[in-house]
Amino acid sequence: MSYKRISYEVKDKTAWVGFGFNCNKSMTVLDEQSLIELREIVERLHVESSKLEGVIFHSHKDRCFLAGADINLIDSMKTESEAADGAEQGQQIFNRIEDLSIPTVAAVHGVCVGGGTELVLSCKTIIASDDDATAFGLPEVKLGLIPGFGGTYRMPKRIGLPAALDLILTGKMVKGYKAKKLGLADETYPKENLLKMAPSFFTKSKKKESLKDQLGHFAADNFLSKKIIFQKARENVLSKTKGFYQAPLKILDVMEAGMMKGRSSYLSSESQAFGELCVGEQSKNLRHIFFMVEEAKKYPGPEASGSSPKLKRGAVLGAGTMGGGIAWLMADNGMAPLMKDLNPDGLVLGLKQSSKNFAESLKRRKMTQDEFERKQRSITCQLDNEGFDKVDLLIEAVVENMDIKKKVFADTEKYVRADTLLTSNTSSLSVEEMSKALEKPERFAGLHFFNPVHRMPLVEIITHSKVSPETLKALYEWVLKVKKTPVIVKDGPGFLVNRILMPYLNEAGFLLEEGVSVKDLDDACLNFGMPMGPCRLLDEIGIDVGVKVAHILHEGLGDRAMASNFSQKMVDKKWLGKISNIGFYKYDEKGKPAGDNEELSSLLPGKSKKMSETDIQMRVFLPMINEASIILSEGIVDRASTVDLGLIFGIGFPPFRGGLLKYADGEGLDRILDALDKYASDVNEHRYKASDFLKDLVQNKKKFYEI
Amino acid sequence: MASQLTGPVYIVDARRSPQAKSGMDLKDVQAPYLGAYLVRKMLDNLGIPDDEVDEVIFGNTGSPAKYPNVGRVIALEAGLHKSTSGYTVHRNCASGLEAVSQAFLKVASGRSDVIVAGGVENMSQMPLIYSKEMTDLFMNVMKAKTMGDKLKALAAFRPPHLSPIIAIEQGLTDPFCGLNMGQTAEKLAREFDISREQQDTFANRSHHLALKAQEEGRFKDEIVPLAVGERLDKILSTDVGPRAGSTVEGLGKMRPYFEKKSGTVTVGNACPITDGGSAIVFMSEAALKKYNATPIARVVDYHFHGLEPERMGMGPLLAMDGVFRRTNMTLEQMDLIEVNEAFAAQALAVQMAMKDEKLAARFGVDKAWGEIADEKFNVNGGAIALGHPVGSTGSRLVVTLAHELKRRKAKYGVASLCIGGGQGGAVIIENLVK
Repeated sequence: MSYKRISYEVKDKTAWVGFGFNCNKSMTVLDEQSLIELREIVERLHVESSKLEGVIFHSHKDRCFLAGADINLIDSMKTESEAADGAEQGQQIFNRIEDLSIPTVAAVHGVCVGGGTELVLSCKTIIASDDDATAFGLPEVKLGLIPGFGGTYRMPKRIGLPAALDLILTGKMVKGYKAKKLGLADETYPKENLLKMAPSFFTKSKKKESLKDQLGHFAADNFLSKKIIFQKARENVLSKTKGFYQAPLKILDVMEAGMMKGRSSYLSSESQAFGELCVGEQSKNLRHIFFMVEEAKKYPGPEASGSSPKLKRGAVLGAGTMGGGIAWLMADNGMAPLMKDLNPDGLVLGLKQSSKNFAESLKRRKMTQDEFERKQRSITCQLDNEGFDKVDLLIEAVVENMDIKKKVFADTEKYVRADTLLTSNTSSLSVEEMSKALEKPERFAGLHFFNPVHRMPLVEIITHSKVSPETLKALYEWVLKVKKTPVIVKDGPGFLVNRILMPYLNEAGFLLEEGVSVKDLDDACLNFGMPMGPCRLLDEIGIDVGVKVAHILHEGLGDRAMASNFSQKMVDKKWLGKISNIGFYKYDEKGKPAGDNEELSSLLPGKSKKMSETDIQMRVFLPMINEASIILSEGIVDRASTVDLGLIFGIGFPPFRGGLLKYADGEGLDRILDALDKYASDVNEHRYKASDFLKDLVQNKKKFYEI
Repeated sequence: MASQLTGPVYIVDARRSPQAKSGMDLKDVQAPYLGAYLVRKMLDNLGIPDDEVDEVIFGNTGSPAKYPNVGRVIALEAGLHKSTSGYTVHRNCASGLEAVSQAFLKVASGRSDVIVAGGVENMSQMPLIYSKEMTDLFMNVMKAKTMGDKLKALAAFRPPHLSPIIAIEQGLTDPFCGLNMGQTAEKLAREFDISREQQDTFANRSHHLALKAQEEGRFKDEIVPLAVGERLDKILSTDVGPRAGSTVEGLGKMRPYFEKKSGTVTVGNACPITDGGSAIVFMSEAALKKYNATPIARVVDYHFHGLEPERMGMGPLLAMDGVFRRTNMTLEQMDLIEVNEAFAAQALAVQMAMKDEKLAARFGVDKAWGEIADEKFNVNGGAIALGHPVGSTGSRLVVTLAHELKRRKAKYGVASLCIGGGQGGAVIIENLVK
């Protein structure tokens, strides 16, 4: 008998079960059809087990073993019980694998995550390739889910509770070597030898535990220690997620309550929890983001001819914080960047920034000292234009001044090749205007990174009227290659993210002047899920920078983008935020928060106003939604998901809310419009004037995601 | 008949790292990184594709355990294609010049068109080595099968086994005559009757000329700044060596180092142990056309010669004599003469023997080539001020010579050095920048 998705073959009394059979996608997933086939195969193994010496699970694909359950399948679950039922069916199949009387060996090369890891956990032996492509993990928590195919039950049994909790609660991936160290994999081999070695495990008895491991298990394997471990884990989760995320807490509940349970009752609580989380708003939002990110991996811009050029060598102009950060990114990605500045001090600043970024990887052991030396040294510091004709991608990060930037580009164009991509990391200047400085503007675009470069995943690619599709596509693919998230944005004041951020920061000033305290303001935003309140964020950005950008936006967008004078007053006082150790808050020499700025009240009218948290949230988020609707109406970006992607990866808009516009859709656009109208009459007619676009949507009973 | 050298050999770019006394700014820079960035920089400028360099040759004497073939590592670290051939040469103090000479031969013979050659040395990182007794003990412990055997092997341990052999000290001692390099300089000072004051005056001259060159920015074109510091976030762009406060009186206060009771050679009138690197891109006529490159100089020819190890400091006399004869050229034709300043006494002795038939005859040279005029000789200071990173100096001299000839719009220059073990090397180049 043959199957469509999974191969089944018996050779020399060994059954070979192969995933990724007849599959032309790069990743094999457990969809409905493969689950049916897997069930049949496992039942058949039970029948034929007396004639077999063992079973080997393997994959026909080079870089994927099994990438878990099909997320579309999960997405199709409409009710809690339907989802719980789905999980249960998977659990049953894996139980049947676990119950096989003959040896079962999973020979894993490539991605083996989620349901894949859960499947191999039900095998008696797991062997892994030592290839970089091999990855185990239970990333369900990142989608707001609990592993539903017995992962939370079997993982602690295999690798111990502390390590299992770490994997399950963070959703992180481990490679073959690490899996072996954890005890998840029994052995690792070069990928070419994996299948050859697999049958030898039919007869191999498990290695005896070392004394150290025995002691470790003894210490962790009793009721009291487990209680303590769970308590620690819970504290950890709460401090990391601020309690916003349900899934990790749910996982802890299931695992802790299941300590004393047998397999079937444990698994039914697991599937129950899966059902609950699966239909919950949070998981839906997180899955929405997952799909957005997947979609963003395909270039969405105007059609480009031919394949994109390989951008092998990079260059950065201007070696400040941003320039150094970009040089780091290029060096880390093997582009041996040239870093040019006007003076040696500037170059040192850039080197320092890059070194600082690498130091984090060194500290987390993601990089060896040798790799650091190689990559950091691959940055060529220079004051001239030597070697510019080798550059494929140049990113300008000089001072934010149109005349200077234009001059720099006009000059630079003389030294680079005709096909070199030239980009500007401007955050506030018109890319259209800048493009006029170039003889060949078609190879030019904005490439807006966020600070700090190594932490912020978003890159805005800014278009202008003369840019070629080939340039956009090449830049888009490059941003993906350096593991950042690109969004294509039309030129306009503040582009996408800073423009929507504008009301967030502006309203802060007005609210403070109305008498709301810094603490109430920031807390309200933190409680919404924002990573930083507006006051803290302004301190990070630099109050003076904020004022400068606010002027540009006000000029470009009119009175709705008006800022209060409050920030300017702070600048006059030289309270510039973190950089001057004092802004809305105080900071010590290392830049660590050191309490409130008590003198701030001297700049305020002196009245104090208690405003409800919801009111404060409405005051800041409503104008953001309104501005986003204007952005969509102007075609700055072409769809709601781009706005949401930009805000999640650009300013850390809370992922569990699915994005600003997803949130607005969920709240109901009619309610949003009513609230805007109310604030327009109560607070300010310009700042809260609902856009026609939003009104139209409400009129036509449409949502942002239905445009 | 020897094969005919057919084509001219051009130098199209020549750069070096800043040099720093051992244990100073460059102490943490591993040897390959003293050269790789120079190669990357020059090839970037010249626009040569990463797979079109025929050979990468580097001189190095320390042979870091981690990088037995530094030349190949430099090729890869510089971003050259993995198919690029690379190797390392060792001719003691003239390793960099040996690399240059091999590049010359390969391009001149038509076998290669583009070669990068140079030298690197990190003397700060030369290791301490376990004694033979200790090494044997480790071997025996490793070979022992049972715990008992291991203990028995360990029992052979005696504390003196731990006293290390200092690799650099051994390296600077001649295995044949048993003298260390400083002692060979003392010997020349005695035999040529060179006084302490003469030596200190010479050393002082080196510092002052080097400082003047620094102040006037004469090294700016040849030095490529290098990232240094533990976190690689500082930039070093000048030599750490020339001393502003240097005076003959000050130097006179130092004690003789090698012949403590009655000697004249001090650490002040000898070159310091130094870290640094240098590299040169050589091209054939065809390559010049292909890459549309402008040469800055042409290598005329080179010569190596041996002599008694205990008088190794006179190597430049024999090497220069050899290269002049080989090329039918004379000392007068030379606009600049670079003689490595291993020791003031040694450099002074070379100057003396060049102009004195009798002194020259002691070394089998039957001709006095003439006075080495002060205004042509080590015009930007020498190793006493700038340092002597052993594997690099040979090519470093060529780099400095090429740039100074160019600056002066002069024509010919010779670079020469003495070589530990009793040899001398010299190369003549012709400036092509009018």
